[in-house]
Amino acid sequence: MGTLQDVRKLMVAAAVAIAFAGAALADETCNSPYTTRLIKGQEDYVHVWTLGVDGLGDGSDKLVTVDVNPRSKRYGKVVHTLSVGGRGEAHHMGFTDDRKHLWAGGLDDSRIHVFDVGSNPAKPRLVRTIADLPKKTGFVGPHTFYALPGRMLVQALSNSKDHGGVTGIAVYNNRGRFVARYDMPTGELGGVKGDGYGYDLAINPRKNVLLTSSFAGWNNYMMDMGKLVKDAEAMKRFGGTMAAWDLKAMKPKQIFSVPGSPLEIRWSLNPKDNWAVTATALTSKIWLIKPDGKGGWQAKDVATIGDPSKIPLPVDISISADGRGLWVNTFMDGLTRYFDLSNPEAPKEIYTKKTGKQVNMISQSWDGKRVYITSSLLANWDKKGEDNEQFLALYSWDGKELKEQWRIDFTKEKLGRAHHMKFSAKGKKT
Amino acid sequence: MPPPAGSYALHVIQRAPDGEVIGHDGRPQRLARYTRGRVTLLSLVYTYCTEPTGCAFAYETGVDIKRRVLADQRLHGRAQFVSLSFDPLNDTHESMRAYGGPHARTGGALPWHFLTTRSMRELAPILEGFGQEIEVERDSRGRPTRTISHMLKLFLIDREGRVREIYSTAFLHPEAMLNDIRTLVMEEDARR
Repeated sequence: MGTLQDVRKLMVAAAVAIAFAGAALADETCNSPYTTRLIKGQEDYVHVWTLGVDGLGDGSDKLVTVDVNPRSKRYGKVVHTLSVGGRGEAHHMGFTDDRKHLWAGGLDDSRIHVFDVGSNPAKPRLVRTIADLPKKTGFVGPHTFYALPGRMLVQALSNSKDHGGVTGIAVYNNRGRFVARYDMPTGELGGVKGDGYGYDLAINPRKNVLLTSSFAGWNNYMMDMGKLVKDAEAMKRFGGTMAAWDLKAMKPKQIFSVPGSPLEIRWSLNPKDNWAVTATALTSKIWLIKPDGKGGWQAKDVATIGDPSKIPLPVDISISADGRGLWVNTFMDGLTRYFDLSNPEAPKEIYTKKTGKQVNMISQSWDGKRVYITSSLLANWDKKGEDNEQFLALYSWDGKELKEQWRIDFTKEKLGRAHHMKFSAKGKKT
Repeated sequence: MPPPAGSYALHVIQRAPDGEVIGHDGRPQRLARYTRGRVTLLSLVYTYCTEPTGCAFAYETGVDIKRRVLADQRLHGRAQFVSLSFDPLNDTHESMRAYGGPHARTGGALPWHFLTTRSMRELAPILEGFGQEIEVERDSRGRPTRTISHMLKLFLIDREGRVREIYSTAFLHPEAMLNDIRTLVMEEDARR
């Protein structure tokens, strides 16, 4: 690919910009409401689902476990790695409802690795690999893993027929057996036509509603980024909708036009709230999804992230436990931004810090005092050369300033591209 | 608002496990005897649980749904409830019967069976089969307490012994649960 400036020019010229696979379900505040034992104190370990790099270490995708308890002698050190024996574009993870197992997906090989992190979080074990997603559903690219009682919702990104963006949701039980599949909506609901694309999903149990967002298919997310931005037809194939589903019936009820590839969805965890937010990668906006006063839902553009003309590419968000703050990572400029969400109708960016040459995932602790950041977006979309930093970094947050505590260089450690993070703790820590 | 009964599908999540349990009368029985032939709502509890969002909540929810089932004549004789203890050391069949109080019934429009097991050895495969994790909490010296940490789950089982829905605390909405029972009964009727 060309230089960053070249890429920006191409994006702007194309007037459709590029979507970047961000990261869903990154942090303690974004776990499924059905996940037990939220860690509201000090987490002991961070597990990083890491993409293998050819020629680096064993070259395999792996689960990297880092000791993050400041009382430990191994604080800030890698204490365990578990390779899965190949490169399948490791991307996201999600806990089962009992938090005993961590499901981790590969966007390329569509394999789902199930790790036991409950028995001994310092030494996760691979207990199962689910390889029948394409065969059972016709979907590929398992992205979001979202616990329901006794089972897992798996939001896919693509399909095995044409590797485009039309996809769906699979349900597996906790033992890894297929239960059901649901297509993303392609028909018209409320005057908006569904594009059939998928990305993230998130549930509000009190309202029996499931929200979904939309990204792109295998053809796009596996393409070299430099090539992609020059492919005008490919650049048209990004999602621009969200859907509100009847959760119990698993039926889409409304479709919203949300241009620019809406990625992560975060419900406010404040029991008094009934709204969610998302960020659009292409258009650099925050959207609010809230009741429409008529028994349904509406989606509103409520804020801008940085200067959209510079394509900052918001790729991950992390909402505070009280629903009053939102971290946003923008990949291209390597900035970590904090938005005041006190008024969700008008979020305000109140803090910005450069945390890397490229930043993707951001995960905050429940108490909001610690913020973890990783670097990798997708193997073929990460920056090249010296800009291709690969790291896990911990920052402390006192409400005013992010202060770096430590940083692990994943290239120097021969680990790979650091992507999704999940926390775990010894024993019961709720 | 939950969708109307019969307007949606409840997929088969897993088979309900079997095993030996102790009934009201103190005699051993197969658990399958209490989870087949009717739509079954099964909860795993222990009698001295004090967690307000745990067993007590499950019990109160059961009482609420019982009232709703009895108010719908179409459901009479079509459903049953089971409360199974996961503490065989302390919960005898007598204490489970006392725990059930006036709700403990083995027949009628809505039986509610309060069951236990003889030992952890006999209980363990049942818990494993349901995917129900439990853990005895320990005090500051590492000694086991009488508190059993568990994730509250209730299981909706069809007349053929297949788990069709699982409810955790966030899902315990009596109206929706009643509709699920109705949905399975309607499914049975459609097959006849």
